[in-house]
Amino acid sequence: MADASNSISPSFPIRVDGVSKRYGRTLALDQVSFEVRDKELFALLGPNGAGKTTLLHILCTILRPDSGAALVSGFDVSRRPLAARQRLGIVFQEPSLDDRLSVRENLELHGLVFGVPRRLRRQRIEEMLALVELTEWADKPARTLSSGMKRRLEIARALIHDSEILLLDEPTVGLDAQTRDRIWSYVRRLQAERNITVVVTTHYIEEVENCDRVCIIDGGKILALDTPEALKSAHGQVLVRVTPATEPDRQAIVDRFGDRLTGAQGAELTLRSDETFVAALLAEFGTRLTALRVQSPSLETVFLSLTGRELRDRAADARDQTRAFGKRGGEHTR
Amino acid sequence: MSDIRTMERRSPLMVQLGGLYGLWLREVKRSFRDRGQLIGGVSRPILWVLILGIGLNPYFRGEVYGEVTFVVPFTYLQFIFPAVIALNIMFTSVQSAVSVIWDREFGFLREVLVSPLSRGTVLLGKVLGGTTVAVMHGSLVLILARFADVSLTFTDVLKALGLMTLLAFALTSLGVVIANRIRSFEGFGIFSNAVILPLYFTSSSIFPLDPALSRAQTRVVYPDWLVTIVEYNPLTYAVDSLRGVLINYNQFAPWTGITVIVVACVVLFSIALYDFRRI
Repeated sequence: MADASNSISPSFPIRVDGVSKRYGRTLALDQVSFEVRDKELFALLGPNGAGKTTLLHILCTILRPDSGAALVSGFDVSRRPLAARQRLGIVFQEPSLDDRLSVRENLELHGLVFGVPRRLRRQRIEEMLALVELTEWADKPARTLSSGMKRRLEIARALIHDSEILLLDEPTVGLDAQTRDRIWSYVRRLQAERNITVVVTTHYIEEVENCDRVCIIDGGKILALDTPEALKSAHGQVLVRVTPATEPDRQAIVDRFGDRLTGAQGAELTLRSDETFVAALLAEFGTRLTALRVQSPSLETVFLSLTGRELRDRAADARDQTRAFGKRGGEHTR
Repeated sequence: MSDIRTMERRSPLMVQLGGLYGLWLREVKRSFRDRGQLIGGVSRPILWVLILGIGLNPYFRGEVYGEVTFVVPFTYLQFIFPAVIALNIMFTSVQSAVSVIWDREFGFLREVLVSPLSRGTVLLGKVLGGTTVAVMHGSLVLILARFADVSLTFTDVLKALGLMTLLAFALTSLGVVIANRIRSFEGFGIFSNAVILPLYFTSSSIFPLDPALSRAQTRVVYPDWLVTIVEYNPLTYAVDSLRGVLINYNQFAPWTGITVIVVACVVLFSIALYDFRRI
């Protein structure tokens, strides 16, 4: 392309350099810099409000950064937004299908809007429908699909044009565990078959275990960026989950090891462990426990030790709000 | 599986035109799948032409020295017939813009905003889609021409369709301008009615300003403020030009109407585009 000079390193499909974004008095992104490597599955992990979506919106040119630069396939999103958009396939957090059009019509429209020539458009639509297993639903109106199917359709849609990078904003929010697994299996298959780079945001920790690299973000800052294994060995903790036999035993453990306590669920206590802790615990309370579980480092504990708190939903997200609107009768206004 | 980059690069103009077609098609398909809109499009003209028109027909005359004459040389049905076309176009055009709010609130707009289409193309696709639907609804009224005792030649119909298209374009743009300023569906409904009905009633659509009277006489017969509003209402001239084509009756110079409509198209679309660029 003419703007080859723009691309600092062609091997990075996405390069973010010192990007800041402020909403009024809130600093949503604070000097964020990172690169996404070619063909990797890159996860942005953080709680709601961490700045993940803001970052994604900057990458897909909906928002402009206040300072810094973001490059998509070498194109600066502020200066060459159209070029950047042509290389991105985007699945937004909120559903963005036209409910009144059929599944196939939604894909057709996307193809037209992205200037995909007719023959290739037809061919890709059939391929993508088959890939996300929606061929049988092709002529059904999009509103009759379940939320998991809508997600799959949106993923298929993002790949109708020549997208080199797939951006997925919380693709599994609001879906049940089984559907979430399925969405992930599609994403991985797509990545392999289409040979593309995938960037995904999520606040479900268990989902990023299989990603190539994970970027942990909170309060608009990057806290850590590495492979899941490296993160675990650098920041992970061994946790011990014990179930005391009686309430006085429980109290005794809390009194004795209160400084190690990271959580309590029902009768079970979660304690931070180290090399000598399990031995010490067993020596003192060994006869007064009904269960003991040693948990090896997980990303959960990585997050905990980086931010000092657990990762979980804080408020209803936009998707749930949208759904609530539909339930209140929003459908009729269409 | 087709590999990436199998797509030959199309010229930017072709991409914009293809996208324009896609968005236009979407608007048209959407509106045909909305039964409410269709029912409105059919029931409104029937109500106005058959009930109001026939009901008021006998009263549409004046008495001068004991001799009963029609104020204008037409029956009331003939007189309001072109205005009902304008009304149907108006409702449909402005209502079709409600999809702007829908798209904005429910994400579809995002899908388009991250596409290679320019904002102008996106807006034009939407407005042309709304225009098409509105002209179709306007044409539904034309079918009632026989009941209103309006005889039409083929060229009359063509001319009328041209005027209707321009009028629908201007009004859909107006709808988008309103929609861009309103945050909720409820607000849009109230606001659009607050714009549509007054505009319609004061456009000399349901009563004539007697052309036999001089300007001074008109102001004696009708209250001053009403004459002023009617004269300043752009829709007056649009309805007048439609009357010129359909029943050969003009209250103003024949070219005024088309000029006003074209200016309205340009101005309203420009405002809509200005707003749309800032989303």
